[in-house]
Amino acid sequence: MLRDITLGQYYQTDSVIHRLDPRVKLAGTLVYVITLFFYKNFVGYALAILFLALVIRLSKVPFKFMVRGMKSILFLLMITVLFNLFLTPGTPVVSFWKLHITQEGTALAVSMALRLTLLVIGSSLMTLTTTPNNLTDGMEKGMGFLRIFKVPVHDVAMMMSIALRFIPILLEETDKIMKAQMARGADFESGNLIKRAKALVPLLVPLFVSAFRRANDLAMAMEARCYRGGDGRTKMKPLKYKGRDFTAYAILLFFMVFSIWAGRLRLPMLMVGIVQ
Amino acid sequence: MPIQIEHLTHIYGDDTTLAVKALDDINLTISDGEFIGLIGHTGSGKSTLVQHLNGLLKASSGSILFDGQNIYDKGYDLKALRSQVGLVFQYPEHQLFEIDVFSDVCFGPKNLGLSEEEVKERATKALESVGIPKELYNQSPFDLSGGQKRRVAIAGVLAMDPKVLILDEPTAGLDPQGREEILDLIKGLQTKSHMTILLVSHSMEDVAEYVDRILVMNHGRVVYDGTPKEVFAHYKELEDIGLACPQVTYVCHDLHDAGFDVDLTATTVDEAKESILRALG
Repeated sequence: MLRDITLGQYYQTDSVIHRLDPRVKLAGTLVYVITLFFYKNFVGYALAILFLALVIRLSKVPFKFMVRGMKSILFLLMITVLFNLFLTPGTPVVSFWKLHITQEGTALAVSMALRLTLLVIGSSLMTLTTTPNNLTDGMEKGMGFLRIFKVPVHDVAMMMSIALRFIPILLEETDKIMKAQMARGADFESGNLIKRAKALVPLLVPLFVSAFRRANDLAMAMEARCYRGGDGRTKMKPLKYKGRDFTAYAILLFFMVFSIWAGRLRLPMLMVGIVQ
Repeated sequence: MPIQIEHLTHIYGDDTTLAVKALDDINLTISDGEFIGLIGHTGSGKSTLVQHLNGLLKASSGSILFDGQNIYDKGYDLKALRSQVGLVFQYPEHQLFEIDVFSDVCFGPKNLGLSEEEVKERATKALESVGIPKELYNQSPFDLSGGQKRRVAIAGVLAMDPKVLILDEPTAGLDPQGREEILDLIKGLQTKSHMTILLVSHSMEDVAEYVDRILVMNHGRVVYDGTPKEVFAHYKELEDIGLACPQVTYVCHDLHDAGFDVDLTATTVDEAKESILRALG
């Protein structure tokens, strides 16, 4: 059950997407997510799906890994769809009791569902193809300009990479403690909500204790190696753009401009939501 | 209650590029009252194997018969199995969570749905058997020393009153004295309480001195299965798979090569001492 969390999980394989500079992937994800909010017709979404499908294909990550990430937002997705479906005013298509499904509502619900799905799959694709280390490296370098405004970019990046690094460790630890308590007859899966919440105490207490112990050890180890923040610190493998990274930027720019242009055309039957 | 393992195979990460065959067609029978040592270097599948024995991990294929019944049968009561087969994990002190030692040990029997008196009785018995004095019962488990914490954690499993006790590296990270205490305690459990014991370890000295039977694992397979003397006779092959024999085995072999008539099958220091003294006349 804990293994199902895909967000922030790297899928190891060798592909063009994996080899891209993390800054390209970060910018790409950002651009992709933002463009999703510009579309006014379904042509835009069709283009976005096509683009994502192409990148997934290139990344060689099996599609089922994307779907796994979807599980976590299934509930949110359902609520969004239902609310949009029933609560959008407009031309009714089906009515029963006090509820009306309108033409506009259907279009809005579908577009919302698409937007959320693409958002999650798009961003999990980034984490699936980029190691956490690379990701924070990219962030540190890409956001470097913020240093002018006294933003502690290095420290934030370091905190992020440590946090990301701790996710699998803590998951493993959780798994281990869970098993150890199950061996003592603990039951995490049955009973009502209160009983289940209570059952978590034997899991959470040791987990917190071990998280603090690990944090302490890590701080000690960093200090022993004379860590003192980002000033004057060099990298063993500094990030460097290569030819393919510029190609990727060009493709991205083209996708952004073209899909926004196409996505905002006034096409009578394919519009999303309320058209003024 | 014997445990029969038949064609047990376990594959981690079945659907990823990182699939690892952790167990590969294991066949074993563990009889009542045995004291077995399970050895193998890191990643040989020891921990994976023992987690199958109380149903914490489910095999990719194969079956485990506990007392003649397949634990993978539909409707098999895994909770009952876990009360029969106690598993002490590596660094078990990391699972302590209660406000005091006594309540922590009560956690297991409480989960079995026993009456309060019986829970207390079992907890007291378990704590006594691991040698935790009464004064410590009301202390926070986090205030104890490393060795004490570990003994409390073992008591937590013993309080379930298991017939089979599995210990995964129970001596890891302890000083020599703490190690000896824990191992003597385990030996006592076998001889006095007639438990079946499975001790996972990579310390040959520990294993050679205490167990009756040794299982050696390598790459998810059981490669040797026999008495310590039988297994350590393969000391050259054991080295090839990254394991070492007890030091005395090497000493005896070296003496033998130097022309002394010593017993090559000696596995404990005492046996070796006897045989060397005899050889020297």
